[in-house]
Amino acid sequence: MAVPKVATVWFEACSGCHMSFLDLDEDLVSILSKVELTFSPITDFKDYAFPELDVGIIEGGIGNEEHWELAQKLRKHCKILVAWGDCAVFGGVNTLRNWIPKAEVLRRGYVETESTVSGVIPNHEELPPLLDKVLPVNQVVQVDVHVPGCPPSAEVLAYSLVSILQGRTPILPNETLHFD
Amino acid sequence: MEAEHKTIKITMDEKELVVPDGITILEAAQRNDIHIPTLCHHPALSNWGGCRMCVVEVDGSPKLAASCVMPVREGMEVVTTNGRIVESRRTVLEFLFAERNHNCMFCPQSGDCELQKLAYELGMDHLTVSFSFNSFPTDVTSDYMITDHNRCILCGRCVRACAEIAGTQVLNFHNRGPRNLVGFDLNASREESTCFGCGACLQVCPTGAITNRYRTHYAVKGHSKDLKATESLCPECGLLCPTTSQVHDNTVIKIEGKLLGDGDRPDRGQLCYKGRFEVLKGDGKRLVRPMVREKNGTWKEEKWETALALVAEKLKSIRRAKGGEALFGLASSALSNEELLLFRDLMAKGCSAGHVGSLDGEHFKAVSKAWELKGEPLKEASWKMIPEADFIFLLGANPYKTQPILSTLVRRSILERGIPVALAGDMECMPPFATFQFPVKDEKLPLLIKAFRSEVAAAGKKVPPKSKGSSKSKEGAVDVSGLLKEAGLAKGAKKSFMEMVAAFVHSTHPLILVGEAVTGLKSPSAFQDAMKLALSKGLDSGNVLRLMVLKPYGNSAGAWKLGLSSNGNSKGKDSWKGGLLYLGHPKDLDSSVSADLGNLDFLGVISPYFPETLADCAHVVIPKPLSMESSGSYTSLDGWEIGFVEKILDPAEGVKDSWETLNSLADQIGFRHKFKTWEDLSKNAVKAIKSWRPAEQ
Repeated sequence: MAVPKVATVWFEACSGCHMSFLDLDEDLVSILSKVELTFSPITDFKDYAFPELDVGIIEGGIGNEEHWELAQKLRKHCKILVAWGDCAVFGGVNTLRNWIPKAEVLRRGYVETESTVSGVIPNHEELPPLLDKVLPVNQVVQVDVHVPGCPPSAEVLAYSLVSILQGRTPILPNETLHFD
Repeated sequence: MEAEHKTIKITMDEKELVVPDGITILEAAQRNDIHIPTLCHHPALSNWGGCRMCVVEVDGSPKLAASCVMPVREGMEVVTTNGRIVESRRTVLEFLFAERNHNCMFCPQSGDCELQKLAYELGMDHLTVSFSFNSFPTDVTSDYMITDHNRCILCGRCVRACAEIAGTQVLNFHNRGPRNLVGFDLNASREESTCFGCGACLQVCPTGAITNRYRTHYAVKGHSKDLKATESLCPECGLLCPTTSQVHDNTVIKIEGKLLGDGDRPDRGQLCYKGRFEVLKGDGKRLVRPMVREKNGTWKEEKWETALALVAEKLKSIRRAKGGEALFGLASSALSNEELLLFRDLMAKGCSAGHVGSLDGEHFKAVSKAWELKGEPLKEASWKMIPEADFIFLLGANPYKTQPILSTLVRRSILERGIPVALAGDMECMPPFATFQFPVKDEKLPLLIKAFRSEVAAAGKKVPPKSKGSSKSKEGAVDVSGLLKEAGLAKGAKKSFMEMVAAFVHSTHPLILVGEAVTGLKSPSAFQDAMKLALSKGLDSGNVLRLMVLKPYGNSAGAWKLGLSSNGNSKGKDSWKGGLLYLGHPKDLDSSVSADLGNLDFLGVISPYFPETLADCAHVVIPKPLSMESSGSYTSLDGWEIGFVEKILDPAEGVKDSWETLNSLADQIGFRHKFKTWEDLSKNAVKAIKSWRPAEQ
């Protein structure tokens, strides 16, 4: 059997889920030896040519147009799409801004921050525009496996990934669920 | 009653059960350890059937039934869990999560939330519906609670608690459909509303919609599983409400009432703003080291031994120079019976002090004289008699200020039993509820009582009070209209007044609640009139008066019964000269007392906080633990019971308790009291209070 190809992406989130995955320590070696990690914040290798993937993993909510497009591409090229963490599953802490108009959020963040002197809202054609609201991934594309938690523990992340690699659909035991 | 004894047979999850007829399916399941998830249901509240979390399948019917409201029936077959039941519950749960902001990672209730627990229990790992992102207001106006409608699931527990437990009906559903929310009064903020801040809604709220203003921050409170619970009583006002305090890292995180009932208490486990919130407020920086005021007026930290030796030395030298009469002991009536007794003995016997009293002792003077009107000691009415009263007269009393739970009991009596309630004096405590209202200034209250008494005597052909001689013949001739006018009431008040008299005359179990405004009057005649008014309706069994005194402090009854009556300043401003030792919290000192403490040769203070108001006149300040940091017995408001309050926290670093401090002073003064241990002291205090008779005063 060919080595399964896996990619992970980091959308609107703190990267805590990736950090939690790194918490697997030596078990990480055994998992990574069974897969081919194509592009990921961990490898910092960006391959937007998009090979056909077996597993795509998304950390973070859909917060800007780049996230939106990448999510569509991932869906198209992945056999199984996984949402990691509360931000990808529910929108997470980023949804705090969903109750505030976008213009106000940008002004507060880039201009009115206490430590900012003559701040400017970044505006360049290469910068992806922010969406009005950050959305959970499953409101943009279909998601096959949800792993909530802020962050999910390393064990839970490993359990879900290993199950997928073994051809099973992981169902997290209720006692491992947590939203905080 | 019969229905309760009759049993029927039902089948639940293929188990044959024998259950009492008339109970709900949920109750039947709970009695047989079968778990059905619930959300809007709360065992202390009426059933609602609103959330559909407890749905079950009955007799294979395609429509699921809410088990919390459906009664059992002979031969009923119930299935509590199967695929479609779980699917239905999870769908409801998803709708609840999607409707408002239920993102756990920025909610103060996370880890202690029933909605969250259900999501875990039902394996809700994502939502299949989209979020609404509707915005609702957040009410941060109250000093005690934050109400975030974005976290609300409209289960209605708070609405029911407000009506059924607190008896206020402040909370209710406002608006319709997706804009539906729980509002206060007619769309007021919590602060502007008639909310009494009891926190019953907070305690029953399953989510983070109503949260405590104190200690709810995630960083402070820790996870609910790390909390240590201590069962105790609240010593704040004399009602000794049972509490459960949750402690984390020597900090009280929350204090909850026993909503599921506790013995014969009629309060249904409600707590009040004092016991639930005020005690969590910090009063500034704690005093942990003794302080001594130097000659130039600055305060300096001192060693315990040195400071205590200084206090003892001052007391001794004043006694040597001017005699014991120049020494005074003053205690706050918020202290435990043990502290009060130990302090009394130290000052009275050890120092032969001229006077040992309590801050609110003045109130007792009026009361003690009246106590023996019938020639034998009368027992004050118990607050537990309120639910049986058929007429309540609040006379110069503001239970909201002194004993907040009493105001609940009175309000519930109006709402649930429709009894007439008359209010004279301060109108603040229950404006929309009382049948008769007489907004009379404190000093005019005697006129109103006089008019009331004489009209009752005239109206009732029933026996007028057997007053000892004097005004009996004149009573018929009292000019009621004149008295009411003089009391400052409008002309129309006469009609309402006469209706009140009639209601009182017709009542069989009236109760008169007398407050500080009357007991604090210079002349005791108003209180005595109130006593006679109560006596005119006869005594309740066991020589119990139909009158009770709403006392100002948590252990006033104990302080009074231990003989700490007047504050010793009866001769006016200049009588406090020589030396005075104050034991108690600085917040208990009102300005009239602290203003009179300026002319002393020596003023010692033993207190948990530095007494800012006495910074210019005190000489030595010794730290003491807070009531939460020591155990002790407290006497109930009516004096009928004694409750033991547990130590909930360890004292602030290095602070010696009153037993150690007062014993050290006694040793240095050369006084040996008879109590060998704290337990021995406690026994003696309880004995002294229980054997108290008015004649001793």
